[in-house]
Amino acid sequence: MSEQVGGPQEARGLIRNPQDFWGGVVLVAIAVFAYYASYDLPGSRGFSFGPGTAPRLFCYLLGLFGLLVAISGLLTYGPRVPRYAVRGPVLVTLSIVLFAALIRPLGLVLTSFLMFLFAASGSNETRWIEATIAAAALTFFCVILFVYLLNLPFQLWPRFTLFGLSIAF
Amino acid sequence: MFDLLNNLALGFSVAVTPYNVLFCLIGALVGTLVGVLPGIGTVATIAMLLPITFGLPPVGALIMLAGIYYGAQYGGSTTSILVNIPGESSSIMTTLDGHQMAKQGNAGKALAIAAIGSFIAGCFATILVAALAAPLTSIALMFGPAEYFSLMVLGLIFAVVLARGSIVKALAMIVFGLLLSMIGSDLETGAGRMTFDFPELADGIGFANVAMGVFGFAEIIRNLERSSEERSLVNDKVTGLMPTWADLKACLPTISRGTVVGSILGILPGGGAVIASFAAYTLEKKVAKNPSRFGRGAIEGVAAPESANNAAAQTSFIPLLTLGIPPNAVMALMVGAMTIHGIIPGPQVMTKQPDLFWGMIASMWIGNLMLIIINLPLVGIWVKLLRVPYRLLYPSILVFCCIGVYSINNSPWDVVIAGASGLVGYWLIKHDFEAAPLLLGFVLGPLMEENLRRAMLIARGDASIFITRPISAGLLLVALILLIIAVLPMMRKRRDEVFVEET
Repeated sequence: MSEQVGGPQEARGLIRNPQDFWGGVVLVAIAVFAYYASYDLPGSRGFSFGPGTAPRLFCYLLGLFGLLVAISGLLTYGPRVPRYAVRGPVLVTLSIVLFAALIRPLGLVLTSFLMFLFAASGSNETRWIEATIAAAALTFFCVILFVYLLNLPFQLWPRFTLFGLSIAF
Repeated sequence: MFDLLNNLALGFSVAVTPYNVLFCLIGALVGTLVGVLPGIGTVATIAMLLPITFGLPPVGALIMLAGIYYGAQYGGSTTSILVNIPGESSSIMTTLDGHQMAKQGNAGKALAIAAIGSFIAGCFATILVAALAAPLTSIALMFGPAEYFSLMVLGLIFAVVLARGSIVKALAMIVFGLLLSMIGSDLETGAGRMTFDFPELADGIGFANVAMGVFGFAEIIRNLERSSEERSLVNDKVTGLMPTWADLKACLPTISRGTVVGSILGILPGGGAVIASFAAYTLEKKVAKNPSRFGRGAIEGVAAPESANNAAAQTSFIPLLTLGIPPNAVMALMVGAMTIHGIIPGPQVMTKQPDLFWGMIASMWIGNLMLIIINLPLVGIWVKLLRVPYRLLYPSILVFCCIGVYSINNSPWDVVIAGASGLVGYWLIKHDFEAAPLLLGFVLGPLMEENLRRAMLIARGDASIFITRPISAGLLLVALILLIIAVLPMMRKRRDEVFVEET
């Protein structure tokens, strides 16, 4: 299963394999949530499936397998759940959301430049001068490639000329 | 035999004109260059490049498309190997060993063997298509909904069997993928399922978005929490760009097996290439003397799925051209392109426009050839890309990914879904769940549901249809046997693991 079995991080107590146990528990929770989300869909009528039949079928199955994973987490020994990092996931995800939010109003140039810098802040190895130059170079490359060579319908600059916006950032 | 040669000769006489070869070369080159950008997969590449073929005559356009298709697909394999982002569902398997090889400093070898395997598979599949197009079509016609459903069950069981870790966890991931694929409008009634009345979710959450999230973004997030030495995307010692004779010798049987598996499974519409790459990988793992090398950078682990998905891509033209059924999103785009040029795919193409049919098959082979001509010299350049420090590489990948996802539908919402999938993927990594079975479930979910529905309707609600129809029963039996074979040693091994501390 996993190589760390029996290693120094092995957990003690009732939950012998927390990695599997909590993984299974979350899957069961997802199954319950999905069941709730598809609760109002009509089910089978006679021979024909309704829109709700297959989703609920998969909910049952996910609940079942999630439960099995959780139970195996009680019966086998295994590693603890590794620690979650905060900075990387949060900043990377935020930079993606930032792209989604800005691409329409701000256009490709500012959005890719800002996203690059924002994403770069997720690593503690980033050197800012280098990153700024790289962001500008990448933006230039993307504009040439996607807009001029591939003719994709991207907007380059902000839709409304809001003066000072780029400086404010 | 004589027919075969005649047909191929006709095809090549159409395809091999200086202009057409040039179109193919340009197509393959541009397709590779765009497809190699991380985050821009095969579908996105072809969608972006379709317009450049519009001005050409039909045959030239199709040949250029074939070039773009192969270039894009190879570009997708390149990103699978270098940065662990599969361009499309059929290169998911390539990430497993390909990326491990890249981490060990063997990226060049992995890229070269992918191109060589694809080319060999392409050659074989071209001849196979020419020889078997007509008889195989009749087999495909024998497949009813029950058979398709059983075939997909078999494909999913393949995915479970080849999973690294626990079988239950792999099954859970498949079902999770199936469940996620249910989000969106119901195909038959149009009812929104699990959409919470968000119009943005009505079309589902999209393969490209989910794949990019759980593979690409999650990988980046995980890499960020490691220190730079631990991460070392590529070892400084890049050992040999090209595979050695020993490597080639080791891979040749693998490539042959992958080609056969891919050719057979590719004929069946509905995710043929995906199942083929999974099946070929599983098969290699089963026949290998030392299966534990797989998933840790075995060169056969790259050669098998790459040759299988290429062979399958080739033979998947059979259902497209004979039945008019596009087996995947890429083929659906090809149908769109053909329609623009006034070609309606279907049974009439082979008989009414033989020059087009055979010209297309010949051009696929030329596309393959171009690919190997262009890419073997480029391998060195792709590998150098890995030398870019990660602190600059990862924001660039993120920007490309976002632009790629956004450009498919011009939808910011897709970008958000990809980001959310990234967090899910991060969670999966933390709990040692595998993303590959999840993605396979996600791809096959809608098809499975559709065929299950139809089969049940035909059988008037009697579920025994799956075991009373011989082909379906056979497929399910194979699935069951596979599962048993996989479970037995697993149980034994786990017992060993409990007793033996640290292997």
